Amino acid sequence: MKIKAVREKMKELFVVEKDDSAGRQKKNLKKTLRDFWYGKPHEERELGKLYIGDTGLYKHREWRGVKDTMYYFNMIWLYNYAHMVTDIMKFGGGPVKGVVNFAKGTWRYRWMGQTYLSVMHWFDRGLEGMRGPILRGSAWHYRAMVCETIRQFQEMFASDKNLHGGRESEQWKHNIAHNETVSGSIFYGFHDVLEDIPLEMIPYFVSCHVNNHTVLNYIDAAQSIGLPADPCPMCQAEYGLFVLDDYPDYAPTMITSNEACDGSVATSILQDWFLNRPLHAMPQPMRYDDPLVQEHCQREIEECWAFIEKHYGVKFDWDMYVKYAEQQNKLTAFEHEKWDVAANTPYYPINGVAQALYRIYYSQDGNRPIWHETDARVRALMNKTVKNKINCLPKTRHRAIAWSCAPLYYSNWCTWAYNCWGINCVINMDSLMFDQYLRTDTYEHALEDLAWYNEKAPMRAMAVGGHEHILSLWDYMERFNCDMVIMYDQLQCKGMQGIHGVFEDEFRKRNIHAIWVPHALPDKRTVSRKEIRQIISDYMTTVMREEPLDPTLVDFDDDASW
Amino acid sequence: MKKVLLKIAAIAGAVYGLLFAVFYFDLDGKLLFYVWEPLITKHYDRMKRKDNTKMPYDMK
Repeated sequence: MKIKAVREKMKELFVVEKDDSAGRQKKNLKKTLRDFWYGKPHEERELGKLYIGDTGLYKHREWRGVKDTMYYFNMIWLYNYAHMVTDIMKFGGGPVKGVVNFAKGTWRYRWMGQTYLSVMHWFDRGLEGMRGPILRGSAWHYRAMVCETIRQFQEMFASDKNLHGGRESEQWKHNIAHNETVSGSIFYGFHDVLEDIPLEMIPYFVSCHVNNHTVLNYIDAAQSIGLPADPCPMCQAEYGLFVLDDYPDYAPTMITSNEACDGSVATSILQDWFLNRPLHAMPQPMRYDDPLVQEHCQREIEECWAFIEKHYGVKFDWDMYVKYAEQQNKLTAFEHEKWDVAANTPYYPINGVAQALYRIYYSQDGNRPIWHETDARVRALMNKTVKNKINCLPKTRHRAIAWSCAPLYYSNWCTWAYNCWGINCVINMDSLMFDQYLRTDTYEHALEDLAWYNEKAPMRAMAVGGHEHILSLWDYMERFNCDMVIMYDQLQCKGMQGIHGVFEDEFRKRNIHAIWVPHALPDKRTVSRKEIRQIISDYMTTVMREEPLDPTLVDFDDDASW
Repeated sequence: MKKVLLKIAAIAGAVYGLLFAVFYFDLDGKLLFYVWEPLITKHYDRMKRKDNTKMPYDMK
């Protein structure tokens, strides 16, 4: 009986069930060898059969042909595991110190130990079905995000009072904590002498993408002390970290913002309570087009700099600011090149999820060496795909633009949508924010552009910055040659709910294929991933009258998945 | 010398093959999902935590 149970379990965990037609194909040796060497054609992959129940785990990882499987194994799986170890040592101040701090942090913080060890599955989900250059380009984007994530949490752990017996180290004294929605560019004038580390980016934001189980603890913790359940769950999760006492104490001060919307003001108030240390609030105007608010926004930034100068005893360094702002401009220039290729050719070697996450990460985080290294690699790859006219997603049936803010627990929906329906998500709203060069010719120009840059932050730029911005969708659809809109419907975003009807009318009037995707940002319990897929599949079958490319991906359960 | 090199190559090959098996059969994912995550979440659930709501809310 026991042997039978073990056999059943092994079958569940490792054996992919084959149907008769697959069995017949197997008998054709030539075809079998061809599939082994090149990988199966898109329509024959049956990716849905690889999953174990609702776990999202694979019975075995996908066979992509010899070349791409070995690339995935050597240059993505092995390479990233190895570099994660070296990054932990490098950013932790040496091999021993780095590993010890990492172990302490893993033991102490739920968002660390529960979330980030499963990071290779984040790659798997985002890169499923990808082949050739797009597999490589997207994986380099993921690699950069992993590297920067390790840098941030290792910096936190190295100076964290919670991990070092309450000791205020020199490093602790030179760190600035700030909201994840305060852009790293604000701190360029102090970049070489102080370390700015966003407080929620790693414990909350990135964690939702990698393992969405963790964040539910913070949302529930926020509600457990009587805070309302209907505000934006991003804000709930951010202050839930404090309710659960799961935030690292790595800096003597805190800088907050009302970005993305005024829901974040509540987060700042609660952080002020829980942190009990000098806190500077740096609000940004909601209706930022008003010329009267520009000077006000610039003064807010200067007041933030004055706060830093007062508390850390260091002066804002103009030359330092110029140096890093100009480096950031190089990142922006390459982003424009990427958009140009994505908009006008099928040769863009980055898939929808890699584009979306990498762009929001680096433009929010600010200038760091890893972004430049990654851009150099991707530039070389993109030059090759354009020169050789390599169609990176050859099964594209529809070019989609994703609009409004995305479900963090299902950022890889676009990988699924391509594999299942041939929907190629070319660009998304959050990629288009922060579209601003920073002039460095004079202090006045620099300040003016920095204010604009921060006014064009995620969600503020379009979603809650005024209806004229959110309706810029039509221009971007044309610019990126899209024939379909994936319209995110964040159920707890009061700002976006207010304009829902206008979009409905406009879609009808303009005869645009738009699929509304409801979600609750980080909380997968409100609208599950399966429900999101169902909505898209229903639209594709009933309205578009199309057949799936891979029918095994139409209906499967992944409720327990990371 | 040749024997030693062959031995090293054989060990390296075996390790490489083993790692490929871990990769291909998603053994890293299975270990983390079925073993690591349930254990570590139990640890976090049991952890004694400071009650931050006791922090006085006033202006200093």
